[in-house]
Amino acid sequence: MSDDLLAGNAAARAAILGRVRRALGVVGEDAARHANAERYVAEHRAGPRPAMPADLGERFAQRAREMASTVERLASRDQIPHAVARYVDNLVVPASLAEQKTRTGVCWPEFADLDWAGAGLAIEPRPTQGHDRLGITGCFCALAETGTLVFTSGADTPTGTMLLPDTHIAVVRADRVVSGMEEGFALVRAERGHDWPRAINHVSGPSRTGDIEQTIVLGAHGPYRVHILLLG
Amino acid sequence: MRVGLLVTCLVDLMRPRVGFAALELLERAGATVVVPPAQTCCGQPAYNSGDRADAASLARKLVDEFDDCDYVVAPSGSCSGMLRTHYADVLRDDPAYAERAKALAARTYELTQFLVDVLKMRADAVPGTFAGTIAYHDCCAGLREMGVKAQPRALLAGVDGLAVKEMAEPETCCGFGGTFSIKFGEISSRLADNKCQHIVTAGVDAVVMGDVGCMLNVEGRLRRRGDTVRVLHVAEVLAGDGKAR
Amino acid sequence: MQVASIHFKERAHEKLNDAQLQKNLVKFKGKFVEARRRALTELDDADATRDYARDLRQRGLDALDVWLEMFERNATARGATVLWAETPADINRLVLEIASRHGAHKVIKSKSMVSEESALDHALEGAGHTVVETDLGEYILQINDYEPPSHIIGPALHKSKEEVSELFARKHGTPRKDDIEALCLEARHVLREHYLTADIGISGGNFFVAETGSVVLVTNEGNATLATTLPKVHIAISGIEKVVPTLEDIATLMRLLPRSATGQSISNYVDVLTGVKGDGEFHGAEHMYFIVVDSGRTSVLASDVKEALRCIRCGACMNHCPVYQNVGGHSYGWVYPGPIGSILTPMYVGLENAPDLPQASTLCNQCGIVCPVRIPLPDLQRKLREKEFEGGMRPWHERAGLKLWSWFAQRPALYGWASRIGVRHLHRLGGARGMIRKLPLGFGAGWTDERDMPAPAGRTFRELYKEAAARNGALR
Ligand code: SF4
Repeated sequence: MSDDLLAGNAAARAAILGRVRRALGVVGEDAARHANAERYVAEHRAGPRPAMPADLGERFAQRAREMASTVERLASRDQIPHAVARYVDNLVVPASLAEQKTRTGVCWPEFADLDWAGAGLAIEPRPTQGHDRLGITGCFCALAETGTLVFTSGADTPTGTMLLPDTHIAVVRADRVVSGMEEGFALVRAERGHDWPRAINHVSGPSRTGDIEQTIVLGAHGPYRVHILLLG
Repeated sequence: MRVGLLVTCLVDLMRPRVGFAALELLERAGATVVVPPAQTCCGQPAYNSGDRADAASLARKLVDEFDDCDYVVAPSGSCSGMLRTHYADVLRDDPAYAERAKALAARTYELTQFLVDVLKMRADAVPGTFAGTIAYHDCCAGLREMGVKAQPRALLAGVDGLAVKEMAEPETCCGFGGTFSIKFGEISSRLADNKCQHIVTAGVDAVVMGDVGCMLNVEGRLRRRGDTVRVLHVAEVLAGDGKAR
Repeated sequence: MQVASIHFKERAHEKLNDAQLQKNLVKFKGKFVEARRRALTELDDADATRDYARDLRQRGLDALDVWLEMFERNATARGATVLWAETPADINRLVLEIASRHGAHKVIKSKSMVSEESALDHALEGAGHTVVETDLGEYILQINDYEPPSHIIGPALHKSKEEVSELFARKHGTPRKDDIEALCLEARHVLREHYLTADIGISGGNFFVAETGSVVLVTNEGNATLATTLPKVHIAISGIEKVVPTLEDIATLMRLLPRSATGQSISNYVDVLTGVKGDGEFHGAEHMYFIVVDSGRTSVLASDVKEALRCIRCGACMNHCPVYQNVGGHSYGWVYPGPIGSILTPMYVGLENAPDLPQASTLCNQCGIVCPVRIPLPDLQRKLREKEFEGGMRPWHERAGLKLWSWFAQRPALYGWASRIGVRHLHRLGGARGMIRKLPLGFGAGWTDERDMPAPAGRTFRELYKEAAARNGALR
């Protein structure tokens, strides 16, 4: 579909690249410059970084809280439904947002097997169309440095589940907590290198805005609250 | 040690006593001071207005005049900053002079910086006395081009009878900016007014700083507002003639 | 966007005397400054990180053609279409073409400064599309009849909550809300419907990544994430200078961008978007277009202010600028205000259309000190001042005054003689107060309108020193 768009665009491309080369004083094709660039990319050199403590899980939990997420540690996976039920029951929301306090929601397929009904919840393993109020996801990995959840899009990891509901609950396996963005990207390369995801979303706490008088308000467009269940 | 005193044009024309105060402080601290007699202007107004040709002529003149000094010292962060951080660029089309300028730049200091960092003057050797409270305003070039921040405060602490009080935003520009103060008088005056507000709120007897240009700006606005807080150069206070009006 | 930078002085005058705006600016001032300072201390070595960031941005620019080609290759390999726009008009034309190909009606946008350069919203509306800005600040401005942004991070920071409240009540036809939370909730409801029904999502691009052919989007609201996840078509528009070699480079820049911008350790949403969605994916764009924009960037690259292209649009330079803090963003008259705007605006729209911007700075260098990628902004302002001076673009009296001063300063004897006469005369004008209220012949009116001119002491240092030296017998 885009072929004729591209054909019509070839002149602009040539003109811009030509101007760039003239500005840089580049003459002719220069294989060395391309080789240098490839070499730099292959190195994956990281810049200066703040030191991380040995206990990445603890650091992650602490920073996630600072980003206005809440965190609960769980020993095992089968505790998840009850932990979710408890969280929902304890939610305090203003009367105007009462409908956000709900035992109904959606989850990623990896949690389809959990005994949601046993915890008194109605959780469906399907993507959301944007009208569900509770979304439960796993995550690709998490970053200790900034308390960040990392999501990679895929058939079994629909992005909307962490984005559209009012309440987002994310399950994080402690062994998937890495130091920082560099390690997160390295994991994507290692595990999704051949099937690069359309989206790598780094999420640190609820959606927020400061656009009116720099006053921070949570729940700008995405979730009002992010609750993290840190497993193991 | 031969120290060349870069008097600066504003001290020469507007506040000569600042030059004498600098002279006295340097001599007291053990320096042999020379004052190249034909010095005029370092070229900063021209440079900042885009007239690099004239700035370069004045820079060459200054380099010639101070070449035989071990150090160049100015009672001004702005003029010393001009030498230290900008002469190489001013003279970028004149490599021979640019080299000499670079060598000179490395030996160039703002007055209090030179007294503290090079001559190791101690607070108890400061001759001045002053009865009252002062706030120190960090002039932009001294602070950001020369790194002058602790030195004047260290020396002021040695002035008998003087108490230093920090005002709000001591590092915010007073709005002088050389020709900016005339080209954008209204904005410049507003910035000066903000500064005056902080000075007055601090409730001090005098505001002290290291550049005559900024002094004129702040004093001019204070007086127009009807405020009587005194505006003094750090050299005058340190040398002890801060009382004389 | 209309260029109004030629009116800087008049606008600044207006803004300095706009009581409401001045109140809003006072609230704004300081918050970001303190937050930035604190946030940078979390990096063990903020200075080394900034040096590294400067170098990596420069590395991107020094081989810009190579990185752009690598970006294009990798983006295309993952199913995206890379289009090149030479001018603002090209951007709009390409977007309209894409929209018509996909039979699109509703377009949602997350913040894109480049699309402000080309007034894309107007072009889309002119062609019959519905356009909705989703960044709350941009949305506020859009429904206020496309009021121009005043800040690159918080486009509506010049507005008070009362002004927003009045605007929402008027435009949404809802009862007036008086607290900020209620206002945000109202906007959320309005925008949520648009997200779910839009055909195209347009985003800017904080960075392009050469290594993977991705665009990186950074927001707190998550609006860019929504706008690029829900519609079937995603168009990412940004300047050619935004290409960064690797994801590791992004990691470094993300340590600095949010800290420098708002003082956050990290922005809430950082998205790395590459190509189109995979098999079986429920959400995600099916068609992905990049529009990489020149529109003046290559002439900056060829100029002596090329370092300005390192900019990562954090806004720290304006947050810290004493002039910006007092005159606000609108005075600058175009998309980019403050110190970085004083370089980019004249370079993108022509120095003759923005002659005041490089001059409207005290050169205090507060901006240069805080810039995370160490762009020497005052030095670049001086470079543009040189161009103005050499191009005869400054008023004759300014040039004459400077030339006269320099002429005397190069002739020490004449200078000594003239200055002796001058300071005596001015000293007398100062009278008993030692203050001149008005200089003769209208000189320095800019100074004396709202300030006194302290009078000179009456004798020059040079003459006094000569006398003293003669007395001491030490005259050289
Ligand atoms: S010039 Fe520097 S400080 Fe200003 S917006 Fe760009 S990166 Fe930030």
